[in-house]
Amino acid sequence: MNRVLTLAVFNIRVLLGERMWFVLSWALFGLQLAIFGSLMSRLVVGTVEDYFFFYSIGLIVIIVFESGADLGRHFVEHAREGELPYFLALPISRKGLFAANALYGATNTVIRVLPPLAVTLAVLGRFSVQGIIFALIALFLLGLGISGIMISMSFIAFKSVDIYIALVAGLSALLIRFSTVFYPLIFMPKIYEPVAYLTPLTYGADLTRWLLGFNPQFLLNPTLALAVVIAVAVGTIFLSVTIMEKLIEGVKAA
Amino acid sequence: MHAVETLNLSKKYKKTEALRGLNFTVLEGEIMVILGPNGSGKTTLLMILCTILKPGSGTARIMGLDVVEDGTKIREILGIAFQEARGFWRHKPSAILRFHASMFGIDPKKREGLVEQTMKDLELWESRDKMFMHLSGGQAKRLETAKVLLQRPKIAIFDEPTSQVDLRGKRKIWDQIKALRDEGSTVIVATNEVREAEYLADRVTILHRGQQVVCNSIPTLKDAIAGGDIVEVDFEDPVSSTLVEHLKELGGSLQLSPNGNQLRAKVSRAEDWVPKMTSASYRLGAKISSIRITEPSLDDVFLHFTGTALEDRQ
Repeated sequence: MNRVLTLAVFNIRVLLGERMWFVLSWALFGLQLAIFGSLMSRLVVGTVEDYFFFYSIGLIVIIVFESGADLGRHFVEHAREGELPYFLALPISRKGLFAANALYGATNTVIRVLPPLAVTLAVLGRFSVQGIIFALIALFLLGLGISGIMISMSFIAFKSVDIYIALVAGLSALLIRFSTVFYPLIFMPKIYEPVAYLTPLTYGADLTRWLLGFNPQFLLNPTLALAVVIAVAVGTIFLSVTIMEKLIEGVKAA
Repeated sequence: MHAVETLNLSKKYKKTEALRGLNFTVLEGEIMVILGPNGSGKTTLLMILCTILKPGSGTARIMGLDVVEDGTKIREILGIAFQEARGFWRHKPSAILRFHASMFGIDPKKREGLVEQTMKDLELWESRDKMFMHLSGGQAKRLETAKVLLQRPKIAIFDEPTSQVDLRGKRKIWDQIKALRDEGSTVIVATNEVREAEYLADRVTILHRGQQVVCNSIPTLKDAIAGGDIVEVDFEDPVSSTLVEHLKELGGSLQLSPNGNQLRAKVSRAEDWVPKMTSASYRLGAKISSIRITEPSLDDVFLHFTGTALEDRQ
């Protein structure tokens, strides 16, 4: 088997061994949707049609975000537990090492997202194989972009883990709160609106909703959303590969 | 062609210069031991050779391949056992070795047998069902060595392979490293243990503050110390400064190191110096209980070339 695949499969096996985390993640999704989703959709009756559906896709996007952040954490943990030098000494290129990590991240995302997405769409009567496939592609691209951002930031952890943790926590809060995962852009106060355009979650969430048939009047232009999601994915992948090739050094020793 | 060659290799961590213009070569098929205290730059050099660290300046080549330009090709022919064991906390040793074997393209049909044999060779078989995080320090270290032995690379690097390993385990690892060399691998061992260097080395490079001080075979290095004989004398009472002064006046001694009841002397010819020393001691009433004449140890070689004892620098 190709070495990149061998490494990815090895990591994925570790991931599959942590079944309890997936179950907890799905349970948390169900709980949040059942309590907050249903409550909030009653509060906004008449303003946004089918807010419950809008909210559930927002929650799915947050799972994708967390899954991407997981990849960055996974990378940092490798460094902290001393495994990174071992990976850097394996006979694969740095691009290959990134690809193996990306495959791990993509699998993590699909496992965490597919069951809740499929169940939610089925419950809401919006299930279609075509819709799920397109939504997964959009979410996968968004996940790549988030993973790229997090891996690029994990470089900071080589200097200081504390700074990395603080930055990721701060960035996560900002990226989620200022995005359209929970609120349509047209209802955002004017002072927040420009900031919402700066977070990739806005584009990922609205693109996924559009692909799943949500009313476009509450969403961003899908072409713009698709272009930004692709650009972020390509840009951050390029950035992380560059960092991996040029900057990251696995260990410091004198 | 040298198996390993560095030219003017330097590496700096902020203000600390770990390597300072290092010129270093390893011949194909030899065991090169890099001897130096902690902080001498051994691990930094090894990390650059296995392409994990990048050189600050200068070049390093492995079998003619540049460590910066040809990283992946180098990693295909090189194996490293790290100073700190690198395992996966929740994996068993056999799973770690199987993964390692698969990454280095070992035939799947032979893999299981090789993993079992290597674990048995290093007395890890009994621990095959333990998680990595439950292994003792010595077991984890042997597992680290097992990866390279399983891989049988063209260039094998061991960074302090027997630290934390008991005496019996040390001998096992050393014999396996020698067997690897006998099969054609070029081996680099970094250590601060003189005994390990004496047992393994075809040649020794002494590294001190990021620079190569000297490189040669152990007999040649020992011969290079002027005089060549070490005399250790045990007295019944502590060695007095008067006795030391008298012995200095005898001539023929290059260095006298009194320590409690013992006097260690580096002399040009033991057979000339010992009779003169015993007479002088008798005259001053210093009773001798034993005399040992030995050849210089690697520690003496280190002291001679760097001006500090290896043990003092740990």
